[in-house]
Amino acid sequence: MFRIKLEQKERVSKQQELIINLYAIAFALILSGIFIALNGANPFVAFWKILTSVFGSRYGFSETLVKSIPLIFTGLSVAIALNSKIWNIGAEGQLFFGAIFATAFVIYGPVLPRPLMLTIMVLLGMIGGAVWAAIPALLKIKFKMNEVISTLLLNYVAINIADYFLFGAWKGKDNFPYTPEFPLEAKFPRLNFGRVHFGFIIAILLVILLYIIIYHTRMGYKLRLTGSSLKAAKYAGIEIKKMMFLVFLISGALAGLAGVGQICGIEYKLHQHISNGYGYTGIIVAWLARSNPFVIVFFAFFLSILLKGVDSLQIVMHLPAAVGVIIQSLILFAILGGELFKNYNVQILRRK
Amino acid sequence: MIGEFLVEMRNISKSFFGIKVNNKINFTLRKGEIQALLGENGAGKTTLMNMLTGVYFPDEGDTFFKGKKMVLNFPGDALSMGIGMVHQRFSLVGNLTVFENLILGHPKNKFIINVAVEKILIQKYMKQFDFHINLDAIVDELPIGIRQKVEILKMLVREVDVLIVDEPTTVLTKQEADNLMQILRNIANSGKGIIFITHKMSEVFQVANSITVLRKGEKIATVNKEETTPNELARMMVGKEHNTTFNLPKTKKIPEILKIENLFVNSNNGVLAVKNLSFNVAGGEILSIAGVTGNGQIELADALTGNRKVGSGNIKFKNRDITQHSPKKRIDEGISYIPGDRINVGVAGNRSVWENLIMKVYRLPKFKKGLLLNNVKLKKYAEKIIQKYDIMMPGINLPALLLSGGNLQKLIIGREIERDCDLYICVYPTRGLDVGATEFVRNSILNLRNKGKAIILISGDFDEIFGLSDRIAVMCEGKFTGLFNNGDYSLEQIGLMMSGQEIENLEN
Repeated sequence: MFRIKLEQKERVSKQQELIINLYAIAFALILSGIFIALNGANPFVAFWKILTSVFGSRYGFSETLVKSIPLIFTGLSVAIALNSKIWNIGAEGQLFFGAIFATAFVIYGPVLPRPLMLTIMVLLGMIGGAVWAAIPALLKIKFKMNEVISTLLLNYVAINIADYFLFGAWKGKDNFPYTPEFPLEAKFPRLNFGRVHFGFIIAILLVILLYIIIYHTRMGYKLRLTGSSLKAAKYAGIEIKKMMFLVFLISGALAGLAGVGQICGIEYKLHQHISNGYGYTGIIVAWLARSNPFVIVFFAFFLSILLKGVDSLQIVMHLPAAVGVIIQSLILFAILGGELFKNYNVQILRRK
Repeated sequence: MIGEFLVEMRNISKSFFGIKVNNKINFTLRKGEIQALLGENGAGKTTLMNMLTGVYFPDEGDTFFKGKKMVLNFPGDALSMGIGMVHQRFSLVGNLTVFENLILGHPKNKFIINVAVEKILIQKYMKQFDFHINLDAIVDELPIGIRQKVEILKMLVREVDVLIVDEPTTVLTKQEADNLMQILRNIANSGKGIIFITHKMSEVFQVANSITVLRKGEKIATVNKEETTPNELARMMVGKEHNTTFNLPKTKKIPEILKIENLFVNSNNGVLAVKNLSFNVAGGEILSIAGVTGNGQIELADALTGNRKVGSGNIKFKNRDITQHSPKKRIDEGISYIPGDRINVGVAGNRSVWENLIMKVYRLPKFKKGLLLNNVKLKKYAEKIIQKYDIMMPGINLPALLLSGGNLQKLIIGREIERDCDLYICVYPTRGLDVGATEFVRNSILNLRNKGKAIILISGDFDEIFGLSDRIAVMCEGKFTGLFNNGDYSLEQIGLMMSGQEIENLEN
């Protein structure tokens, strides 16, 4: 017989936290391998196929980068909220709302020169996301409503609002629920590497900008303090309700950018499937790389390897599409389980 | 009747981050004994007890319980063997009843609970140890003193042989504390052993049979109560003789730094907590506010610092009406607040030491570098405070919650003094601190006074009040029942004012 010995830890450093997360991913991948084997496929071949489908060709690698762009945005969105102890489960809805706002300009606005048009669309996308995040923010601040529930439920509302336009005023000529293709002025330039578009540059610049804001500005200091202790922040003279509201807005704006990136960079129109669940996958990215924007890029790329790789597993090895979702869920479970190891020293001993 | 050994801890050592917090400590407890565990903050008392209850595992050494070697795997193991601890922060479920809390997690309750039988059993314990608690009351609605008793009763119901209580009287009134001492005596007389962690010398002599003193992770001695004196114990605790008398030099008073007129403030649940207060504080003066906890002192402090809305009335600071000013504005105007809740309010525990030291100065223009913060300069500023106030800490970039209570208070006081304010509002500034840190805090407050600052000292410690104050106000139910020069009234008379007697009605 074995027994498990638990001892409370004083604290874990950020490096230890990262290492525990990497172990959790490895553990989740082993479990996924077992699941793949149960489906009658060789897991080693499957993982090898995932890797080669990403790194084996210029096309595969560029497609993986394409998927990582919205994940960087939604990952940043969820992470900045999480650092202020706010759970934004609504990145998916904010992504759609950002896309709706930007699309509205294409439909109703004039066609302007490309740089101006795109700047306006990016700004509108951010505003759209921020507007959608402002609703749960006000509900939380004014009525103390739990943001997990409000942000989650508002996702469905946002998607339905998108449907309202897609099945109504914005329906294309061929009667399908998507808008007509955007004019060239509303398309992000490509970076001469597959479908990788200008949104990637915006994402990287934002990561650097956010790092500077969080660690080198007064506002960042206020964010850090508010995130650590509301009472202490209040004591230090910070208007915490204002801060919270601001965090919601920033978080929403970042998710809105993910929507703009999808419609201006990839799809060139608004339709029902612009997101592929990026708002939810962003939660995993954020949880893996909580406090450092640069680490978010790394984990966003890691999760897009899975997304891309599993796409090809479907085709090459005839595995069900659900494999991807299951691997993602296992990773999230393993990471949440890993919290135990962050708070306790765990030893397994043989019972005497 | 003191009987056989219950607990024997032999050569216990434990280190955190390479710092020895317990070094080869031997500790024993017998049946029927109340042993006080005495020591400054950071002496290793709580760590030692955490190892006895299985929260931590010792690096070296063995523990024997009733003569057998103890092997603990989970924190719950110690409790099921018969060692229970009542922590400073209670572990009760607030919206359940007392009864539900008592049976919650009790190992003998499997699937079906026979409520009637359990209640009779609990009544038996209550009778035996002289508890008077309504079992059907909701815990959140009980006063803190009763909640403490529920915690102790919870342990008794689990039939522990060893009860550890960690500074149980910090939150209690004098009467509640006396009552608690009596209950502890009853429990010990029934043949159980009690370990009593405390700072308060008077309680040690009131209730303990023997005293173990720890200092800096080492055991200094275990002595019987009859064979020692408070002075000797204090010397063992700090390693040097302590000077507890303060002399107040004459200062030049700067009139009316703060002037309060007809102030009304509500408490959290909408009850009037401060009722029509008018007073003023001069520069170079310490005004102490004495009173039983919960008579409006905290609400008054919150109103003065802007953290609570004023119902009506005026607050004038340096002849300007600041009644409607935000906390931020008041910080900039020169009002400093040393809060009673150090850990949750005074610092953001997860943030680093340096980030906590710059909490109130980071937005000053001198720390700006264009649009950015000058982090290098801010860190230098923090380092200067650490050196000047001799703050012991494992690292400037490590979280503030790693600091011991005394050093945390040094951090807060250093931070506030360096800002050079005109008014300092200190709330229970030495509560829970050891002798050395207490002396540091009191000297700091006195220095501020001598430099011409206005000080409001909210305290429950009469050594402090008599030792530091120019004037004393006594607060009861939101009003001042007395406001007089230090020395005009005796402790006994102040006690009467604290219980509600107006100063005019006292017979001199």
